[in-house]
Amino acid sequence: MSFLLSALPDALACAACVDGDDREDDRAPRARRMNAPDAAPPPTDRDAADAQLLERVARGDKTAFATLYDRFSRPLFALTLRIVADSAEAQDIVHDAFLTVWDKAAAFDARRGSAFTWVVTLVRNRAIDRVRQRRRRAELLAESAPADLGYHEDAPRPAADDASAFNDDARVVRAAVATLPPEQQRALELAFFGGLTQEQIAQKLNEPLGTVKARIRRGLLKLRAALPRRL
Amino acid sequence: MIAERHEELAALYALDLLAGADRTQFEAELAADPALRALVAELRDSAAALAHAAPPAGPPAALRERLLRSVETRTVSRSKEDEKILRPPPSIFRALLPWAVAACFALAAGWLGQLYLSSRTEAALLRDEKTFAELALQSARNQLEAERIVNGQRFATLDRELKAQGDLANFKIAALTSMLNNSPQALAVAVWNPAQQQGVLQVEKLPALAADKDYQLWVVDPAYPNPVDGGTFTVDPQSGAQRVTFHPRQPIKAVNAFAVTLERKGGVPKAEGPFVLFGK
Repeated sequence: MSFLLSALPDALACAACVDGDDREDDRAPRARRMNAPDAAPPPTDRDAADAQLLERVARGDKTAFATLYDRFSRPLFALTLRIVADSAEAQDIVHDAFLTVWDKAAAFDARRGSAFTWVVTLVRNRAIDRVRQRRRRAELLAESAPADLGYHEDAPRPAADDASAFNDDARVVRAAVATLPPEQQRALELAFFGGLTQEQIAQKLNEPLGTVKARIRRGLLKLRAALPRRL
Repeated sequence: MIAERHEELAALYALDLLAGADRTQFEAELAADPALRALVAELRDSAAALAHAAPPAGPPAALRERLLRSVETRTVSRSKEDEKILRPPPSIFRALLPWAVAACFALAAGWLGQLYLSSRTEAALLRDEKTFAELALQSARNQLEAERIVNGQRFATLDRELKAQGDLANFKIAALTSMLNNSPQALAVAVWNPAQQQGVLQVEKLPALAADKDYQLWVVDPAYPNPVDGGTFTVDPQSGAQRVTFHPRQPIKAVNAFAVTLERKGGVPKAEGPFVLFGK
């Protein structure tokens, strides 16, 4: 967490304005989200552009597919690698998930979320399934439990070009995450990257189930409030 | 205004943490509540944004090439499928006709083969049944023959027993007493079987014979003027005993008495010597 804050000084203002109490009012006004660092293009334009790419992919447009891959592959690969902790396996999962995108692009429904969310769901489900199949979830979590959702002090740093390419979305998200109390970060981390059930998260955190549910609810609502309307 | 409970369910649903009945029930509520659907969509986007929080890692360039090659392969496959679908109906029929004929032939061949195999199986079963029937018949015949033989043997035995019983009724048994003053203890028993025309003579304590003498048995039958020669015999010099089976030289119709005389060696046609034993 400390690394995240020091790496993202522009998030400090937001991070400093919240405390770690779960009972804190998590219904932040939507206007507050717009205070988060926002170097990304207008969200609605990006969503629309992604949706158009998917429409073209559905018609068999390989160029659109390559463009979509270039836009999404980096965070998706990072997400998958974070979940499965194996580069070769992560490549297979991303490969298969994008083939599903190619085959099922017509099934995308913009009313249910952004294109990025749709593809993230495809990739994440596959990655979690793979982890569950390997029955190594507990080991993976023990091996890779960082102090926060972002960088770990010992994590490999991205190359210079990667750092520039790993665009501002990451900075925005990390800044938004930094606004969450650590216990909410931890609950979201286990839920999103660990693929654990509610009960497993409660057991792992040694907290009552109701507390865990409340942390997840508050954390996700705060994240929604802290993020731009759509990345 | 969305209740806190629904917010919690929406957050859990957005992170795929709802399962089972809870998930089903929430999805039903979701279908009926546009505001709830909007909240879920936003929370899904927020959760998906967490992908950006993962430690940065870029996929290797080879993955992009591999993926585009896979897509190219699928495109070719899809084009071929589309081409098949877009063919005009007559061509489809013409293309399918040989396959249809082949399929019909295969079905017919399969049916006939099945029929042939079925018939062959039935024939084999019938042959087996016939063989079993023949074996059963032969077995029954053998059993009947065995029973016939056994019964025949039983009948023969019974017949012999009945005959023997009948013969026994006709047997002539006579106790012969001594006619000698010097050997009053001498005695004999004679049993005559008229059916077989033979008899048995058992003698005891007869005097020992001289070397030139024999005892000779006579059967007295009223049908003949003289006793019929029953043959000669000797006795044990010590005990004076003997058991002989005799066959008279002439057919015997009825036996009135038996007699034993002392004759010269080899016997005589007509009794000449003294009577030794006599009995009726």
